[in-house]
Amino acid sequence: MRIPIPAVAALALSSMTLPACGAQESDRSLTAVIDLLPKQIDTWARGDSPLTYDRETIFDYINGAGEVYRSYAFGQVAVAVYASSEGLPDVTVELFDMGDPADAYGVFSYAREQEETGIGGGYERKGRVLCFWQDRYYVCVASEERTADSERSLEEIARAISEGLPPASEPPALVAMLPDDGLVAFSERFFHLHQSLNYQYYLARENILNLGPETDAVLARYSPGSTYLLLIRYPSERDAAAAAASFKQSYLPDSGDSRTAKTENDKFSSYNDSDRFVVVVLDAESETAASDLLQATVSGLPQSSQ
Amino acid sequence: MAKDKSGLTRRDFMKGVGGALVGMAVGLPAPACGTTSQPGKSRVVLIRNQNVVLGLRRNDGDLIQRMLDEAMVSLFGLDTPSDCWASIIRADDIVGIKTNVWRYLPTPPELEDAIRRGLLGAGVSEQNIAMDDRGVRRNDIFRRSTALINSRPMRTHAWSGVGSLIKNYIMFDNPEDYHPDACASLAKVWDLPLTRGKTRLNVLVMLTPQFHNIGPHHFDEEYTWPYGGLIVATDPVAADAVGLRIIQQKRRLAFGEDRPLQPTAHHIALADTEYGLGNAGMDKIELVRLGWQEDSLI
Repeated sequence: MRIPIPAVAALALSSMTLPACGAQESDRSLTAVIDLLPKQIDTWARGDSPLTYDRETIFDYINGAGEVYRSYAFGQVAVAVYASSEGLPDVTVELFDMGDPADAYGVFSYAREQEETGIGGGYERKGRVLCFWQDRYYVCVASEERTADSERSLEEIARAISEGLPPASEPPALVAMLPDDGLVAFSERFFHLHQSLNYQYYLARENILNLGPETDAVLARYSPGSTYLLLIRYPSERDAAAAAASFKQSYLPDSGDSRTAKTENDKFSSYNDSDRFVVVVLDAESETAASDLLQATVSGLPQSSQ
Repeated sequence: MAKDKSGLTRRDFMKGVGGALVGMAVGLPAPACGTTSQPGKSRVVLIRNQNVVLGLRRNDGDLIQRMLDEAMVSLFGLDTPSDCWASIIRADDIVGIKTNVWRYLPTPPELEDAIRRGLLGAGVSEQNIAMDDRGVRRNDIFRRSTALINSRPMRTHAWSGVGSLIKNYIMFDNPEDYHPDACASLAKVWDLPLTRGKTRLNVLVMLTPQFHNIGPHHFDEEYTWPYGGLIVATDPVAADAVGLRIIQQKRRLAFGEDRPLQPTAHHIALADTEYGLGNAGMDKIELVRLGWQEDSLI
């Protein structure tokens, strides 16, 4: 689910963030996003003036954390405040157009700790905030105050918005390629960029795996211990091979033919490339555990899919 | 051969290459002795009061004033708060008070008032004082300022690890320019014509710090706690380093495990090791504790 942009344009982007597929679209799309927020939800009335922010103005709304959204194909967000006719605290709704379903899942997964089903492709409720993803949209509903009724209110409003969106999608295919055995629930993180990897697992200051807008990546934790599995899909087999070579040179120069090495924390890391994919295991408890997880992943990858 | 800093990997930090402080900041084990580029120790005053927090964004203004006064006297070693203000601010100074307006956890107005009173007491005229956050580059007082006071609450942040005193100056430039590598180069913003050498006092607000994020940018008071503290220093790096340790210790207690910040707040360590802005290693910080000591987490 990559954004089809020229490589030159991608390189021109500051901070290597992703361009929005809808960035060139007219006010029509802005209006459309606002229209996805119902004017009335049961006893909740939408405020008169919802706001919209795009990739350039997102920092006016959420400061530096806007980079999280810009690291995906985020195009715009509509923000509306709903007021209750029953005197309940106001609820703020944010509807992010993330460009495509994979990136909507990606930003949902970014800091996910739990997940429930029943709204969109999945939702998470933390405190007085409920967020879900559905099709290309990521939606957050937040009560201004936590009250006895706020949980129910959040769910009601989220469900009403969900009903107006296109049907829910499956998570990105790359996520389904992760081996099930040992996978820590809800630990999968889908992203594209080097800085997103470092957010989840600080690997290196330089982009030693050649991540970029054209790459899809998923990082997940495995038990026993706290092993990380990183699976990356590149535009071509050649790109994957180059990334694997770069990783070996920068991170595992001592791995030899086995492509596995013991690292300074007495854990084991391993890597391999196959077709368009690079698989990296980090912090495995033993050499065997690293090798087994690597092989389980590689054996489940599709081949020659260019 | 020494490795270029820009090519450092997690494994290099494990080996101790590239600065132990940075290794600590990326969540790796702390060495027995850190290294730092700064000579001498930085004095940092941590003052706490168990009654100052009345609720989220509600504080006892009188107690805040007393806490700031006591902290100033301890920090500068003078007899009275007025003496302290007079030692860092001249009557003809033009002073910008850099605050933070994030609506969930702003710089408390009671603290803003206390700082303003300190400046007025030092003889600065009202028209030569301004308080601002996002508009500092357009604010005439800030543009002409001869002195700055920096104050903000510490909180976890989805792009820089924590919102810190160092980060609070990002609005003096184009923020996007500092976003790569989890805002690693934030200390550079302290070396702009608008900021260089002007900061006389830093107050890191630890009244109700936020120790965990909800998603990329949301907030819930569940992840704050009434710590009731102010961290006062002239060295912003040292103050941030102390605040960061408190946040990390709170996370250990709350989660029952050592859960590193995401992303790591390595901009604080790098402000020391790469930019020489101040001291981030506890071996170079003289921590003075005043007031309420229970559960200080450091």
